Amino acid sequence: MKKNGNGNYNLQELLVAAAAREINDGEVVFVGVGVPLLGVLVAKLSHAPNLIMAMESGSIGPLPYRIILGIGDNACVENSICTTSLWRLFSDQQCGYFDVGMIGGAQVDKYGNLNSTVIFGDGDYYRPLSKLPGSGGANDIASSAGRTIITLPLEKRRFLERVDYVTSPGYIDGYDSREKAGLPRGGPASIITNKCIFRFDPETKETYLDSLHEGVSVDEVRANVSWDLKVSPNLKTTPPPTEEQLIITRLVDKTGIYTDSGLKGLSFEGYIQLLENSLDELQELFK
Amino acid sequence: MSLREAIATFLKDGDTISFSGMGGAQCVAQTYEIIRQGKKDLTLIGDSPCEAGDMLVGAGALKRMEIAWCSYAVAGLAYNFRRAIEQGIPHELELDEYSNYTIGMRFLAGALRIPFMPTKSLMGSDLPKYNENIKTIKDPYTGEKVALVPAAQPDVAIVHVSRSDKRGNAQMFGFSSNAENLVRAANCVIVTCEEIVSTDEVRRCPNLTVAPEYTVDAVVELPFACHPWNMPYAYIYDIPFHMRQLNLFKTRDGYLKWLEEWCFGVEDWDGYLRKVGWDRLEKLRKVEKQFTRVSY
Repeated sequence: MKKNGNGNYNLQELLVAAAAREINDGEVVFVGVGVPLLGVLVAKLSHAPNLIMAMESGSIGPLPYRIILGIGDNACVENSICTTSLWRLFSDQQCGYFDVGMIGGAQVDKYGNLNSTVIFGDGDYYRPLSKLPGSGGANDIASSAGRTIITLPLEKRRFLERVDYVTSPGYIDGYDSREKAGLPRGGPASIITNKCIFRFDPETKETYLDSLHEGVSVDEVRANVSWDLKVSPNLKTTPPPTEEQLIITRLVDKTGIYTDSGLKGLSFEGYIQLLENSLDELQELFK
Repeated sequence: MSLREAIATFLKDGDTISFSGMGGAQCVAQTYEIIRQGKKDLTLIGDSPCEAGDMLVGAGALKRMEIAWCSYAVAGLAYNFRRAIEQGIPHELELDEYSNYTIGMRFLAGALRIPFMPTKSLMGSDLPKYNENIKTIKDPYTGEKVALVPAAQPDVAIVHVSRSDKRGNAQMFGFSSNAENLVRAANCVIVTCEEIVSTDEVRRCPNLTVAPEYTVDAVVELPFACHPWNMPYAYIYDIPFHMRQLNLFKTRDGYLKWLEEWCFGVEDWDGYLRKVGWDRLEKLRKVEKQFTRVSY
């Protein structure tokens, strides 16, 4: 596998590769949509062919020959090994079958607790500044997946000493507070951001800066975190995507729905064309 | 039975209601009909409702929600739901929040006619802090902590499936949301389906049946009921349409205009589909057939 050293990739593609590297072959991964999903697909199509994707609609192990537009999209059912009910899929997770879960949120704190429920602002839970969608399956993933990988943009208003509301528990108050709360296993392994990657101290369970993306400084990261951030003594540079990872990313997200300009300007005809073209191209890729 | 008759007959103001669907396979036609009939004071219990949450809130049909999530995923946010919680528009809304799994556990408990279900979710989070119906107790057998959620037994469940016979033997291709528990938990069940088939056809693959006829009160044939959402093995997601729609929902005025045009401006779901255009709908169906084939 050749290294792509020419910097000819965008930030989203770097994040896809970073997410892909978090996944090992043979793992069962609970995925949502967006960049983390592309990361999981890239892992499956490169170093982790035996990876199994689980989507919360109840679809397990799909081989989608088209872009996945939601956790209950038809692409999640396509060539799957099992379609079942939502409660059954989540029960499999509670049993411990799922190695990794990918989650996000609007706020995260230094113990990896996530908020996707509500931003208080000057108000409170009952009359907040912003009502966010809510847990969905995120609380369940955070509770029972073997480990979680968090993705979130690095901004001071998002990286807080304590989140307004804990939707998805990370290490709660650090140390053994997660076990004490009664959670069966798991906890966050990493936070992937647009500037850097954080990991968690094995004892205190506090977040530390582990890897900087190219061109980002420690000061820049510190300036965007609301607590006194710890930095790894072996601070790394996030590796660029490999050529193989880039090729796959650009095939599975050909029009850049998740890695470029999104869905803006997507016409109905263009959309139908995108799907029809992807059928042949992706079928080839999954062989 | 038509959808209009089914909703008029079985759903009363003040009822508790639940819908099938997760991500895709959402009950959209059913939501429009409830709005068209001006139903009021409903309580919605659901995991992650899209139209059935946000549009009912915007129409003033709900007084209470017990849900895990309300949004439209990739296409946009639940602007009506946000306006209700942040500004009390069109009116105040009671909200109890759960997670997707634990809403599923509530339907399972309802389907088993047992009072609650224990779960390993919810602990260590703030969900129990703001929802007094979630209890954390010591397991009486092991002494370990466990969270409890109450059984859900809605007055009415509306479940959309791939196909059903006229008697209500309802079959699903692809994921089934919590359909098999919903139909057993609810007091009254309306099955809507993409296609009515013969009972002989049902008997050919009985393992696809999520609702046997004795759980079902009404059957309605309702093709493209999920539009603009996808229905597995039937039609793809019409995301360009959804983007246009949700762009309007950003303002209260935009939402009301949408209702005027697409809900009150047509007689029924058939009118909505004609307005979308059959050429477009056929394309959505044709593309899905290229990717997935029903082999039963």
